[in-house]
Amino acid sequence: MADELRFDGRVAIVTGAGNGLGRSHALLFAKRGAKVVVNDLGGAHTGGGRSSAAADAVVAEIRAGGGEAVANYDSVEDGAAIVQSALDAFGRVDIVVNNAGILRDVSFAKMSPEDWDLIYRVHVLGAYRVTAAAWPHLRDQKYGRVIFTSSAAGIYGNFGQANYAMAKLGLVGFSNTLAIEGKKANVLVNTIAPIAGSRMTETVLPKELLENLKPEFVSPLVAWLAHESNSETGGLFEVGGGFMGKLRWERSKGATFRLGRAWGPEQVRERWGEVTGFDAAEHPASINESMAPIMANVEAGPSKGGNEFIDVDLALGYEFPKFETHYDERDLALYALGVGAGRKPLDPTDLSYLYELGESFQALPTYAVVPVVNGILDAGRKGERGPGMNFGLDRILHGEQYTELLRPLPTKQTLTHRTRVKAIYDKGKGAVVINETKSYDEDGDLLAINEVSTFVRGAGGWGGDRGPSVELNVPPQRAPDAVIEERTGEDQALLYRLSGDWNPLHADPGFAGAFGYAKPILHGLCSFGFSGRHVLEAFCGGDGRRFKSIKVRFADTVFPGETLVTEMWKESDTRVVFRTKVKERDKVVISNAAVEFYTEVPSKQPKAKPAAASAPAAASAPAKVTSAAVFEAIGGYLAAHPEIAAKVATVYLFKLTNPASSWTLDLKLNKVGAGETAKPECTLELTDADFMAMTEGKANAMKLFTSGALKIAGNVMASQKLDFLTKVDRKAVESAAAAAPAKAPEAAPAAGAASSPAKAPAIFEALAAKFAAHPALAGEWGVLAQFDVASPEGHWVVDGTVTPATVTAGRNAAATSRLALSDDDLASLAAGTGDARKMFQHGALRVDGDVSVAHRLHLLKK
Amino acid sequence: MGRRVNVIGVGMVKFQKPGASEEYNVMASKAARDALADAGVAYEDVEQAYAGYVYGDSTCGQRAVYEVGLTGIPVFNVNNNCSTGSSALMLARQAVEGGLAECVLVVGFEQMEKGALQAKWNDRTNPLDKHVGVMNDAQGVNQAPFAAQMFGGAGREYRWRYGTKKETFGRISWKARQHANRNPYALFGDTLTLDEIMAAPEVFDPLTRYQCCPPTCGAAAAVLCSDDYAKRKGIANPVYIAGQAMATDFASSFSDSMMKMVGYDMSRAAADKVYAQSGLGPKDVQVVELHDCFTANELITYEALGLCGEGEAEKFIEAGDNSFGGRYVVNPSGGLLSKGHPLGATGLAQCTELVWQLRGQCDKRQVPDARVALQHNLGLGGACVVTMYRRD
Repeated sequence: MADELRFDGRVAIVTGAGNGLGRSHALLFAKRGAKVVVNDLGGAHTGGGRSSAAADAVVAEIRAGGGEAVANYDSVEDGAAIVQSALDAFGRVDIVVNNAGILRDVSFAKMSPEDWDLIYRVHVLGAYRVTAAAWPHLRDQKYGRVIFTSSAAGIYGNFGQANYAMAKLGLVGFSNTLAIEGKKANVLVNTIAPIAGSRMTETVLPKELLENLKPEFVSPLVAWLAHESNSETGGLFEVGGGFMGKLRWERSKGATFRLGRAWGPEQVRERWGEVTGFDAAEHPASINESMAPIMANVEAGPSKGGNEFIDVDLALGYEFPKFETHYDERDLALYALGVGAGRKPLDPTDLSYLYELGESFQALPTYAVVPVVNGILDAGRKGERGPGMNFGLDRILHGEQYTELLRPLPTKQTLTHRTRVKAIYDKGKGAVVINETKSYDEDGDLLAINEVSTFVRGAGGWGGDRGPSVELNVPPQRAPDAVIEERTGEDQALLYRLSGDWNPLHADPGFAGAFGYAKPILHGLCSFGFSGRHVLEAFCGGDGRRFKSIKVRFADTVFPGETLVTEMWKESDTRVVFRTKVKERDKVVISNAAVEFYTEVPSKQPKAKPAAASAPAAASAPAKVTSAAVFEAIGGYLAAHPEIAAKVATVYLFKLTNPASSWTLDLKLNKVGAGETAKPECTLELTDADFMAMTEGKANAMKLFTSGALKIAGNVMASQKLDFLTKVDRKAVESAAAAAPAKAPEAAPAAGAASSPAKAPAIFEALAAKFAAHPALAGEWGVLAQFDVASPEGHWVVDGTVTPATVTAGRNAAATSRLALSDDDLASLAAGTGDARKMFQHGALRVDGDVSVAHRLHLLKK
Repeated sequence: MGRRVNVIGVGMVKFQKPGASEEYNVMASKAARDALADAGVAYEDVEQAYAGYVYGDSTCGQRAVYEVGLTGIPVFNVNNNCSTGSSALMLARQAVEGGLAECVLVVGFEQMEKGALQAKWNDRTNPLDKHVGVMNDAQGVNQAPFAAQMFGGAGREYRWRYGTKKETFGRISWKARQHANRNPYALFGDTLTLDEIMAAPEVFDPLTRYQCCPPTCGAAAAVLCSDDYAKRKGIANPVYIAGQAMATDFASSFSDSMMKMVGYDMSRAAADKVYAQSGLGPKDVQVVELHDCFTANELITYEALGLCGEGEAEKFIEAGDNSFGGRYVVNPSGGLLSKGHPLGATGLAQCTELVWQLRGQCDKRQVPDARVALQHNLGLGGACVVTMYRRD
């Protein structure tokens, strides 16, 4: 056989090898080239007596076949002596087969302490002693194969073998751990549970069966497990009569009781099927796998509660799959008709929501809720539910609605919506689920936020968080500042439903009847649209572009044809509280409601502009010091430090302007001189003044790059190695200047006055005035921010957490955003020429903490 | 499709700082011998060898494997910047998958110099010149190490877009140290507090020193084989490659985005291919080794690989979904940040860690119930290799 599994050069110890299985293993190893230590105490199979005859006979048989073997007559309890035999005879040990064993079968009732101890000592202690003695040799040589002999009696139990079963399963655990510990040293450890005819089984099994259970049917598995090409470790195998197979643990999927929920023996009984059912079984193969479900439950933490309708643990925080919707001018106009616009078709305001060719065509801001609610209804119709939310649309009522726009809705757009379960409250009989949806425009920028608060009938009562109970947006006692009354059409619900809410409750008289209504009812969101339109009409001349948000509570039902009366109270320039009643029944149908406005029409962050030209670095070179002097000093410095040229090894050409001059720094030849070289590797073009500032460390390459003041051709990477320019001793420069003033070209007048006064104080003063005049800007700024302005230094605190926002000089440790930038850059932001994003990317604007405030630096503009 | 390819043996040496390691040939041959022993394969059985390294004269690969055996087999030297190791792995996989070989050896090694990476060949076009051009346009160039400017710049772009806190980047280093503390092969075994990480000298805003991977010396190796070979050798239930793809730069790398310049789109494209090949998605993965050369790259790569949604990395990190007890364990080895980053060895060290994880051999850093593992190895210049491993 070409690929015969050989054991040439390997040394094997087989314990209990005088008869039966051990003898068969030993003969097979020897036949395949292994040197074998044949260990046998020569005792009876019940443990008494000793003799060298059994081992000697096997050794003789091996040698007769041309193999190598030595006999050993020690008890396995003297394991070290057995291993020493291998080392003495062959100088090493590679394979250990723990096979020796005896029986003391007796029912447990009659078992003596000696029966128990003897079995333990031979099987467990013996296997331990032999393996422990061999282990350091196996580990050191990074090679070893160990086989333990277990038994079905241990795995499954067997009458009359309590002692033997204990020992045999003990060996399995022993082997499993050695497999883990030996793996890295290439010591592989396996266990077999054999059945074979031998002295130990001849009293147990019928004779005909014994003849077909030859030990020779077990040894091939032992040889394979012991072979160097085998990689199995930690395995347990049943083998005999020509069959062999591997065993593994199986565990039911089991039952998990969330921590913090009450459960006891009754719940265990209830879920006994899950505990014991093997339908979705797992096969843990390590302690980690064993622990996985336990750890998963512990780490999941205490339960937040729930019941058959809502499992708060699963539902809260769940993010629904994102979805896309599209709308255009037609959808906006249809919606506007649905919420009552167009009754006055000649009125410019009504027309601005309806006529897409008109100059002032705009979206009604309340339209922002439509795609979101349609998405929820679509999911409901398809039966899609988030995890832990086991209720249908039939059980829910739209309780409250909050819609916020970050800027006016475009007149057509594809929106991407991301929804998550923001809060779940237990209101006793019912529950409240608040889904927050963020809608993003085609550029991926956040455009709208909707919070849909639904009341789930009958789903409360688990003793969970009841949620906030403060009554918001309560109208003041005084008479409303504005009232608009408008009758809805008899066909209003039929018109509104074309914007997407298909619920038959709003169209089908029979269906409405089944729910106890005299006729189909008007959509809550339709009244919502009417009311929103009324507020815009009363306070914005119908212009929806300054709309920021609307919040309402749906208090009662409206029927098509009823008259809506919206009563409004102006709380501030940016906030109107309102409520809506049905005139005919004098019932409040929308309560606790408010609309907020922006003080000016918000717009999107401008896209990146080309790099703003920041002020060129000031060059305040001392009089008479010229670039010529600097280059001369550089030449001297490089000559004194030849290791720099060796390391940099690049030819640079500096082309200075204003006044113009050219200089070659050849760091391959380590020469510095005036004039151009034919083959520069890196050409740098900049003003004389900027060059001087660079060598003085007053301007860095980055800043010059940014502003476009430095242009690099050729190997851009080489510009990184110019830091030696700043290391030139200024005294050398000055002495070079003093020594050769005539050679030097005239230094350019310093560009930009180094002593220009700080611009920051005026900017912050203007900002303070702006905030005082427009209290609503506090909300827009929103945070407590500290500005650290440099060159010249100054510190300001801009606090948008109070209304109106304040601006004070100094620092505030509680600031949640800290912005650091130069006075010049601050000025360019205030002038509207600087781009904050670009500055941030360049590192010219640094932000610690909340970065988002940097998106609002346009507020610095006058 | 080609044949299934199994990873039957892996090995690596403990990573060291420059100057403290053995020479490349010693490290590489040790790793190769360990991988062969782990596989239970004799060198004589190896039909081809692939050697990955970046720094060194030609044919270092031969010099290294000659210490293991001299059997005249083909040896290929592979150089693909920081993704060198997994590029070699990919070539080896292709040889087995395509039926050209039954059993191949892959070894990756690097003997690095102290200090930040620098160009070695200044008399010719730098292969990264287009990338540097993008950076120059986006944010200029300064004296900080180039790689830190590039990946740090990507971090700035991300922060601007999503308002991410600086500390969020630091938390990635904190996690990396926590993991490396349980990995005897890692260069940095000491843990750090978030305060220590944030207070370290700044290399390039928002990156502090502890958020940059160190120059490292080390080696790692793997043995790949066909199903037939594994069967002949009696290797039951080996780890196998369920999907693997390489992407190089797209036009988008050279637009105006630092994130894309450092390979965001390469990562996403390679990952998408692997998900399509394997029929598995990010949700099926338990353990990930990804290319955390800088914390900023780990953060944006969470999203490129689909481990979390776009803009959600901060939440993902704060929820602990990148470590034990979370949705994934990312870089249980400590990653490049803490285990170290010997360029040519990194791809194979990632492979080694994941094979150990899938076999359940990772001791204190073992990811529970790891059955599917994802590897992400990225080199600027550029090449990104994403590999999915599985064990049934």
